[in-house]
Amino acid sequence: MNRFEYHAPKSLNETFSLLSEYGDDAKLLAGGTALLIMMRQRLVRPAHVISLGRVPGLSGIKERDGELTIGAFTTHRELETSPLVARRFPILATTLRTVATIRIRNMGTIGGNLAHADPALDPPVTLVALDARVRLTSKSGDRIVPLDRFFTGYYETVMESHEVLTEILVPFPPPHSTATFIKFLPRTVDDYATVSVSTRLILDESGKNCHDVRIVLGAVGATTIRARQAEATLRGRPATREVFKEAASVAKAEVDPVSDIRGSAEYKRDMAEVFVRRALEQNLASLGGGH
Amino acid sequence: MRFEHAATVPTNPDRLWDFLMDIKAVGSCIPGVEEVREIDADNYVAVQRIKVGPISLRFEGKMTITERDREAGRAAMTMEGVDKGVGGAVKATITMSIKALGPNESQLIVNTDAQVLGKLGEYGQPVMRKKADSIMSEFAQNLGRRLTSS
Repeated sequence: MNRFEYHAPKSLNETFSLLSEYGDDAKLLAGGTALLIMMRQRLVRPAHVISLGRVPGLSGIKERDGELTIGAFTTHRELETSPLVARRFPILATTLRTVATIRIRNMGTIGGNLAHADPALDPPVTLVALDARVRLTSKSGDRIVPLDRFFTGYYETVMESHEVLTEILVPFPPPHSTATFIKFLPRTVDDYATVSVSTRLILDESGKNCHDVRIVLGAVGATTIRARQAEATLRGRPATREVFKEAASVAKAEVDPVSDIRGSAEYKRDMAEVFVRRALEQNLASLGGGH
Repeated sequence: MRFEHAATVPTNPDRLWDFLMDIKAVGSCIPGVEEVREIDADNYVAVQRIKVGPISLRFEGKMTITERDREAGRAAMTMEGVDKGVGGAVKATITMSIKALGPNESQLIVNTDAQVLGKLGEYGQPVMRKKADSIMSEFAQNLGRRLTSS
């Protein structure tokens, strides 16, 4: 690891001052589970590391104005075991349980996970399916960005170097809706996904047709991918296996994986199709349909 | 990993060929290339910076032209770049071919066979691939601009 100067500001204002002083030479440190690996590999060599550990008010899970608000410094484990999350967003708890190992979940924060912008991570997939937004705070104020427009490429987001991701906002799910997360892990349980899929299905009042659908995939492109064309195929159509099959084949064309030790690009595209279809079928089954 | 990029360039194959054989001029069209130095007609050394999110790489490398066939519109070269900070390297064999599309339009096809080695390999493979796409598309745009204006 290269030498760096460590800063532990005690407020957001102090953090902003450090960020404006050191600019691109600085990296924010939350749980450190991703950053420290990259620093040890010397892929990232910041001259200044600014820890958010002593900044108050960045953790916690609350209910506010019909939404779940999650402080960015909240750990994966805190979310996974939160009674509020278990009650309102069981899908989120399920997703978090698949992240790496319990030791990593105890350290890694949800804000750090999103800011790291690794397209193979699990939480962004489910959070995009749940229509989450992130609050980016800077000296001059806040802006709120929908998570599906937050990621721009491998390890790249719309976040500016003077901004801090402070909060994640997740609207409570509408009635007649259900969400599923499937992580395809053919190797070991703590591996990155070969493909991960989260789908959220909202049925119309008849309970027979798709009112709105979100289809989101991880590990099959440079960012978390929202399969918008596949979503559009389903809107207003009957929620049936045949229609899901059609949407899954559309989703397959929207992913852009690369070949690696987890499989060839072609195989991952095939698996994307399979798991989108299965996730939608699970959605329907949990809403009492599909018999 | 292998990839192919194609670009349409607004000039005839002869002019495109002349431009492509001017390695320093080509270097100035490739994003991140800071320096190209000629050793002899077939050998060059260059420095290229590549940034992927928080990862900044600085490749120092050499390039050797291994084939020039003006008649066939074909050239080939090998490249090897080392990043000392991370401890990784990229080796590539690049083949370029030029086809006439019209009186003032050519197609440039670039085939790359690259290996990402060392620590870069673990993280690098998919990232470098996407980066290669964006570098090539920017290169193609710069090339088009240069050949239209000159």
